[in-house]
Amino acid sequence: MIISCDNFDDILMEGDALSMQAASRHTAGCQACAAKLASWNEISNVARGMHTAWQNDMLWPRIERSIRAEKRHAQSKWWQIAAAVVMLAALGVFAWKANEKVRNDQFNQRILQASALDAVEKAEKAHLAAIDQLEKSAQPKLDDASTPLLVSYKEKLMLLDDAIAECQANIDRNRENAHLRKQLLAIYSEKQHTLQQVLREGNHVSNP
Amino acid sequence: MHGVAPAVSLASPVIPTETPVRPTRTASDEDLRLARACATGDTGVFEEIYRAHGDRMKSIAYNHLGNISDAEDAVQETFLKVHRAASTYNGESAFGTWLYRVLINTCYDALRRRQRRIQEAPLDDVITTERAGNSVDDAKRMTLRKMLSALPVQRRSVFLLFEVEGLSHAEIAQVLNITEGNSKWILFSTKKQLQESWKNQS
Repeated sequence: MIISCDNFDDILMEGDALSMQAASRHTAGCQACAAKLASWNEISNVARGMHTAWQNDMLWPRIERSIRAEKRHAQSKWWQIAAAVVMLAALGVFAWKANEKVRNDQFNQRILQASALDAVEKAEKAHLAAIDQLEKSAQPKLDDASTPLLVSYKEKLMLLDDAIAECQANIDRNRENAHLRKQLLAIYSEKQHTLQQVLREGNHVSNP
Repeated sequence: MHGVAPAVSLASPVIPTETPVRPTRTASDEDLRLARACATGDTGVFEEIYRAHGDRMKSIAYNHLGNISDAEDAVQETFLKVHRAASTYNGESAFGTWLYRVLINTCYDALRRRQRRIQEAPLDDVITTERAGNSVDDAKRMTLRKMLSALPVQRRSVFLLFEVEGLSHAEIAQVLNITEGNSKWILFSTKKQLQESWKNQS
């Protein structure tokens, strides 16, 4: 390798033992590069003295303690995660069970409601049939209303029939409305009572 | 060699671009064993590592941070980081090199934290109080430390690892995650800069 002042920096940059030997050979005959190399080496020599060593018998035990603590912490973290997962699972099961119970209750209530409604409607039909029967018995007297009272009963019965029809139409729209059903029952009772009075009045008229 | 290296510019050094050099020394079975044991928190293995690398680690940390207390804290933190991250060691470099990389990053973090603390004493003051001496060598070392403390941290790291701790450019490249060529170039330009300051000091 031919070394000149021009490529002296390149040699310094390489910095390996072979390059430095070549640089030394060049500086034997070049004072400028010799000065450069001297300060270059001086920096290296001073730097080598910067390696700092000291004895601290407490350092390793301190590091060891912190590693053990870290290990324990990591383990407890896993336990915490596991505990959290178990708790979440338990909560999930509890919530699912509770939801299931609520759904079952709602289902049972619906069944109860429907069956109760069926029973009410069945009773209503029987009641209606009985009133129809009563109406058929009273019909001849009403058709032949001879007294003002019978005429008044006839008009009242017509009003009650209108009220029944209207109430029934409302119930058909809202089958579960208990208030409407009570109202209908009251009208039917009133009709039944009126028909009974018609029959009684008819008997008084025919048997003076 | 003439014309191969780029021209020297100390103000804004041009880092020659090149394909990153693969690490010259990859992990041995022993390195992998150490990493596995570290991941499990085997303190016996950690002690083994401390005995082998502790002195150099302390010196590197001291020369970056400027005082013994911070250096010891950095070494301790490095071992904790190694414990946490040992499972991610992929064996692309020697375990020792990886260890120094973790240490250097820990030192950088400490320096950044220090910069954020306004009341923190400047590095050169700390060094002055720690290493004041009477001999000519001590005075020269102190001067060099002051000069180094004014350098960008990566330049300082390359200089310290090569000149003080005797790592090769290949090892420095792995520690600092740069190429071997960059390491050579940074060292050369840093020494050039120091040489100028050295002349002025003299």
